[in-house]
Amino acid sequence: MSLKIINKEDLLPFVSNMLREYEVLGPVANDTGFKFAALTDAAQVRLDYNTTILPPRKALLPTQETLFTFRTDMPSVTPAFDMRWRVLFGVHTCDLHAMRMLDEVFARGNPDAHYMKRRATTAIVSVECLEACDEHSFCKSMNTLTATSGFDLHLIGLGDFYAVDVGTTAGDALLENHCKSHEATRPELVLLDKTMSAKWAKFPSRLSLEGKDLPALMGISYKSPVWEEIGVRCFGCGACNIVCPTCYCFDVRDEVSLDGKTGERSRIWDSCQLDEFARVGTGENFRKTHAQRLRHRFMRKGKYIAEAYPGQQGCVGCGRCARACLVDITPVGVWNALHKAHAM
Amino acid sequence: MKPKVAFFDFTSCEGCQLTVVDSLQTHLDLLDAVEIVQFREAISERGEDYAVAFVEGSITRESDQARLKQIREQAAILVALGACAHIGGVNAIKNLAPLDDVRQYVYGDKHTWYATYATRPISAVVPVDAFIPGCPIDREEFIRVVKAVLLGKKPPIPDYPMCVECKLKENICVFHKGGFCLGPVTRAGCGAICPTYGDGCEGCRGAISNPNRDSMKNVLAEHGLTTEGVLARMTMFNAYEVTKT
Repeated sequence: MSLKIINKEDLLPFVSNMLREYEVLGPVANDTGFKFAALTDAAQVRLDYNTTILPPRKALLPTQETLFTFRTDMPSVTPAFDMRWRVLFGVHTCDLHAMRMLDEVFARGNPDAHYMKRRATTAIVSVECLEACDEHSFCKSMNTLTATSGFDLHLIGLGDFYAVDVGTTAGDALLENHCKSHEATRPELVLLDKTMSAKWAKFPSRLSLEGKDLPALMGISYKSPVWEEIGVRCFGCGACNIVCPTCYCFDVRDEVSLDGKTGERSRIWDSCQLDEFARVGTGENFRKTHAQRLRHRFMRKGKYIAEAYPGQQGCVGCGRCARACLVDITPVGVWNALHKAHAM
Repeated sequence: MKPKVAFFDFTSCEGCQLTVVDSLQTHLDLLDAVEIVQFREAISERGEDYAVAFVEGSITRESDQARLKQIREQAAILVALGACAHIGGVNAIKNLAPLDDVRQYVYGDKHTWYATYATRPISAVVPVDAFIPGCPIDREEFIRVVKAVLLGKKPPIPDYPMCVECKLKENICVFHKGGFCLGPVTRAGCGAICPTYGDGCEGCRGAISNPNRDSMKNVLAEHGLTTEGVLARMTMFNAYEVTKT
């Protein structure tokens, strides 16, 4: 839409002003790392964070969420909706691409009312990464190193000030009402250009092929011995799924009161790496082995999502699953091994 | 009519029953839903007409078997309460050494007076309908299991590794902080309480159905744990299971 400039010292007042009206979730210190959490004070925001354990998708699809409550004595169902207005602040572009994918998944077909309501009451302020977060990320290979949509406001740090890409009218209003800003001047635009051009060289590609070629690679990799090789060491612990910004599978559970008269239905995050995920009522398990489950996960990330939702990606190269895996099963390792085996 | 419930104990510290007493204080609705007819740690009545039996403790003497079998005959539903009853628990550490050595170590020259045998979970003696893992049990999980039993549902005990809950809590991985943890092979349900407070998992809730123990040993060793350390950690609560095969 337009490009504005805010001075660095006006950033905290911006967050403070938003906090007066909205719940603001942003990156904060968490032990030796970082996590997204509801801020109680603007000073908690750490825009210098590298990554978080859980992706910010938890703001749109909570780890546990009540869908509705019910009564059996006077049969009735009451939907539970979270209608708080909130700002998701400081999202990196990898996660932004992931949420753009979730938006499409939950909107298509039979729209998911809970996700849609929460999404409609959430403004996203993202931030451009100017350096790679660590040795695990491969956003450059997945083409998620920057973003031109999916945000309401997008911040690019330029030393003493931030360039602000205004993505929506809601973002425009958020900035106008809560922060001092001015139109970008010619020298500021030149610095922005220079910074954006210079950043590309600072990010390694890490994948031996381009992200857009993954569906083709995965298409010929179903019978690869790689799955058995990594399956031997996999715990099936599900950590890779839980920390993934593009995973969205959930389990649905009912909790009933002791007298059986009232209860609630909720959903919690699930993982295709767990024993119970593909087990059905008769006891049959459609993906019994770790190898089968890993293959399924990598097919989702590299092929199925991209084919089911053209223009979207099942993996955004954030590297969280690689960081979380204790037995070194990583997208870069697996895809490069498959690429090498097929000598594409 | 309210279902009649009884509590029993074998070789244990009785800490799980203490947790039951504790959880009843905050869930008075549970006391309305059942009638407790026997619970040595909490009441003096000794009713024998119970339908649901909760048993804490492992079986470490042949002479205990008859009592457990009698409880099994009376109870329509038998629930193992806590790590000792569920998986043998710390009592099973003795299974790692020859029984005579253990008995001499504990009872000295009186060891022939005490007839003990290899520690086992109650499921090794009688069929068990449900179990509540942990050392001690989690009070909220206890309530959930009781509810499920009363409603005739399968108790909602997770069969996936603790890593799921640990990640959901956004804990920094214990291994990444230089520690050791059995989370990748241990049954979730505790909310990853030990890693959340800075300790590695010791496996008190027992292994998941399909644990990758070889990988667990490798990861512990790669992070610097000695062979003895690996064995000690993997048998602290799970010696019965590990020595069985």
